[in-house]
Amino acid sequence: MNNSELDAKLKAAREPALPADYAEAFPQTVLNQLRSSPWKPVRARRFWLPRLVWGAATTACLLIAFALGHWRGQVERDSGQDVLANVKLIQETLAMFPNRVRAIVEDGHGLKLVLADQPDVPASMPIYIRICDGKHCSSLVTFSGQEIQIAGQKLTVLSDANGGIILEGNQFVWSSREPVHAGRSLKIEAKNL
Amino acid sequence: MADTDEHQIWVQQSRNGDHAAFAALIREYQPMIHSLTFRMTGSSADCQDLAQETFIRAYRQIDSYNGTSKFSSWLYRIAVNACLDWQRSESRRARLHTEWSEASAAGQNSAGAGNDLDDLSREVQSALMKLPEKQRAAIVLTVYGEHNHAETAKILGCSETTVSWRIFSARRKLKKLLSKKGDSHE
Repeated sequence: MNNSELDAKLKAAREPALPADYAEAFPQTVLNQLRSSPWKPVRARRFWLPRLVWGAATTACLLIAFALGHWRGQVERDSGQDVLANVKLIQETLAMFPNRVRAIVEDGHGLKLVLADQPDVPASMPIYIRICDGKHCSSLVTFSGQEIQIAGQKLTVLSDANGGIILEGNQFVWSSREPVHAGRSLKIEAKNL
Repeated sequence: MADTDEHQIWVQQSRNGDHAAFAALIREYQPMIHSLTFRMTGSSADCQDLAQETFIRAYRQIDSYNGTSKFSSWLYRIAVNACLDWQRSESRRARLHTEWSEASAAGQNSAGAGNDLDDLSREVQSALMKLPEKQRAAIVLTVYGEHNHAETAKILGCSETTVSWRIFSARRKLKKLLSKKGDSHE
């Protein structure tokens, strides 16, 4: 038996005829089922919203994982160097989270990425700050106008029109133009990247 | 079945909850769907239940039909999935095979599976029921639905290569089954 003969045999097989009254009543039977069911037609967009949220969340997780992995790799490669002074690395990270990076902090526990909930961090020149309190040193990259916690101090970072940097803490004000006025025993270094 | 502009209008109206438009779609496509569900189940009673299930699912999912494929293909896909879900019920499948074996041995039909069918029709349906469900779906869509392999692949949600392989395997089995039985009837 070849394919044509098989097809001819298959097509020659009849199906049971549907009773005429069944066929006629069938659409109404289906509609009655639909009416008796509380189900409403589901709009496609309703399916898209949770998928979109999950997609965004997954993307964010992947980006963060990538960023952390990227940073760890860089830290290992740049051992002995100040990672936060690497302008290219900073720019790559900022590009990954546009207008969301409040600070990149490096302390005794490694690197931390501080992200804003909303992309509302104004684009401006990154500022590098290093603070040592005699026992520990912390470094960070942040932007003018950000309030950050470093070396046990809550600081507001400001930059002036001439590129000068001002750090305003609870108990002191420090300026890159007059670094001798640094408070207490803190050793502060700050520069525009 | 070719979609017409009128069908597309009925689809649009059905989306807006117009039951009369959906009833028109049911009238238009019910022979096609009943044919498919019978070939997939071999049972008149189950065929009717599955046809009903298909149209209910279609109405509930009608917003997911985006118009890029034929409405008939979209509907076929729902029907095939309903049939495959039905087939996955192991107890029903076992019962059905037993019924078909008994009916074939006795030269009779059972479970309301087309009591008015002639011997050839029963033999063919019996042979179809011995195929794995996905091979059966591929044969039913290409032979009875007259879809090409690409369309069948879209309906079944698999590759054309997979469809070709399933059809090749199904044909080989059907030839064996129907050659033996065909000889006894000629």
